[in-house]
Amino acid sequence: MSAGNRLTASSAAGSIYDLGYRHYEGKRRGRLYAAWSLYVESLRGIWGFGRPMSAKAAPFILAGLYSFFAFLQLAFASTLANAISSGQQVQLFTYASYFTQFGLLLILFCVAQAPEVVCRDQRYQVLSLYFTRAMGRPDYALARLASLATALFLALIVPMIALFIGDVLMKPDTIGAIGDELPRALPAIPACLLIAASMASISLALSSYSPRRAYSAIGLIAYFLLMEAVPAIIYAVAQHGGWTSGDKLVLLTPITSLTGASDWFFGQTLTSDFPATLGPDAYVLACLVSVAAFTAILLFRYRRIAA
Amino acid sequence: MALIETSSLTKDYGTVKALDRLDLQVEPGIIGLVGANGAGKSTLIKILLGLIPPSSGRASVLGLDVVADTHEIRKVVGYMPEHDCLPPDVGATEFVTHMARISGLPRTAARERTAEVLRHVGLYEERYRQIGGYSTGMKQRVKLAQALAHDPKLLLLDEPTNGLDPTGREEMLDLIKRTGTDFGISVVVASHLLGEIEQVCTFLLAIDAGHLLKAAPIATFTQRTPVVAVEVEEGADRLTAALTGRGFKARQEEQCVLLVLESEALYDAVRDTVADLGLPLVRVQQERRRLEDIFREPEQGPAPAAGGVQ
Repeated sequence: MSAGNRLTASSAAGSIYDLGYRHYEGKRRGRLYAAWSLYVESLRGIWGFGRPMSAKAAPFILAGLYSFFAFLQLAFASTLANAISSGQQVQLFTYASYFTQFGLLLILFCVAQAPEVVCRDQRYQVLSLYFTRAMGRPDYALARLASLATALFLALIVPMIALFIGDVLMKPDTIGAIGDELPRALPAIPACLLIAASMASISLALSSYSPRRAYSAIGLIAYFLLMEAVPAIIYAVAQHGGWTSGDKLVLLTPITSLTGASDWFFGQTLTSDFPATLGPDAYVLACLVSVAAFTAILLFRYRRIAA
Repeated sequence: MALIETSSLTKDYGTVKALDRLDLQVEPGIIGLVGANGAGKSTLIKILLGLIPPSSGRASVLGLDVVADTHEIRKVVGYMPEHDCLPPDVGATEFVTHMARISGLPRTAARERTAEVLRHVGLYEERYRQIGGYSTGMKQRVKLAQALAHDPKLLLLDEPTNGLDPTGREEMLDLIKRTGTDFGISVVVASHLLGEIEQVCTFLLAIDAGHLLKAAPIATFTQRTPVVAVEVEEGADRLTAALTGRGFKARQEEQCVLLVLESEALYDAVRDTVADLGLPLVRVQQERRRLEDIFREPEQGPAPAAGGVQ
């Protein structure tokens, strides 16, 4: 008897919590919100958040290594500041030269993470879930592109901040040093934006053409290596042959163009490695054209892809 | 308002016509969409979702045109594809929440709906584990959950029981039936298994090679036929002869005698004849039509699509 009572009591209690299916009456947002949600999820994904530990290894090791040298300089600066007499500076790296010296690590970052951003959805056919929701195909492509560009910008700007702090600490008058140092450091922001946009658009556009990570990664490596080397070689040969307009070929290189463009932001003259006939502004233009072209290639891919 | 309406909807891939002048008008309910592989089921679903444009003709879902109002349709429709569509390296909760947000639900609402929907489809502790480690049955549940996450008015399910074992199949069918009846969401289930359609659906659309074969409530396909089967353990031949002798239309089929039911007098005649002959009677039963029969009947006329419309 008592057992039966308990049984009915517990099943009644169970039914209190089982509310059955409830319809959703709340707010529904539009396409912009959907694109923003994808952007946030994508940015988290690039850094491996919400994924297993193994997914965090590549982005954090590569971005960490890229920042490492700037922090090394910062460490020197903070410990040696007292030992250094005024006028002397331990300055191994500058804002303008940093990307030139360590940019290879960020190419590896792109090779590792760009396929992660676009191949996964193709490989596991998640695209059909996105494209059957209120999300346009260009929305999808642009949100993914923005997330990779943001991730690259973060990786690029952190060592710049470290360099800035280091340079400030090295001077005896810290407050005054901020005022001195800031105008020299600020061009790093547009320079990093351009580098991030350029590398993100190239690597995402190329990666999106294969659902397999491995093929995308190999394609990216091949592109960056070949496009750095081939135009430079042709230019060198052309110089010997007296073909003067061969210098424009250097504008096709992805990384050399970016270092040339960032020199424009920092108001520096180009080193002798660059053809003397082209000014830094030509590289800025070349990089902007490259961003537009690769974004168009990416959008074209997502206009045609089967969901 | 009609749930789905099409008029002379055609889709051709070069020389192959996946859909050929399809005219439909379907009211809300649980709709079974049957046809052999390649009959055009998936094509129809994809057109309704605006994933592929029709070659010609018109289609609308809940009064919204599939070409002009694609985005409006997608807000009120949930889609469960036939193929795998889940990334392996995230948990079900994370994935379904993300998909709910893509459908426009704010963050907290997306979380709440996800928890609720995963409970409805029967995923509990395992929902935090990575999807890659799930069984096929669990993956199918996640696929259904992501389609339900934004509380759609219509669910389009493409082969929802694909790859499931018998138990998983039963559970999935039960879930679909609950979605249609208890949740009040219209469902279109594409399948090539008639048994499943018969079990859960209220309305049937049969297509074959891009043509509409039949469109009618399920009950009309499974109603009684005017045929009575009399099964005996032995002597079916003698029974057939005796009943034919008494003026009934009888035909022997193994241990059964099939009789055309023209009047109630048939039952008395069967009782008397069996008793007279002293035969061991097993059953006397009025036969039901089976859903399979619609695919066996010869086509009536050159344009079966036009005749089948409700």
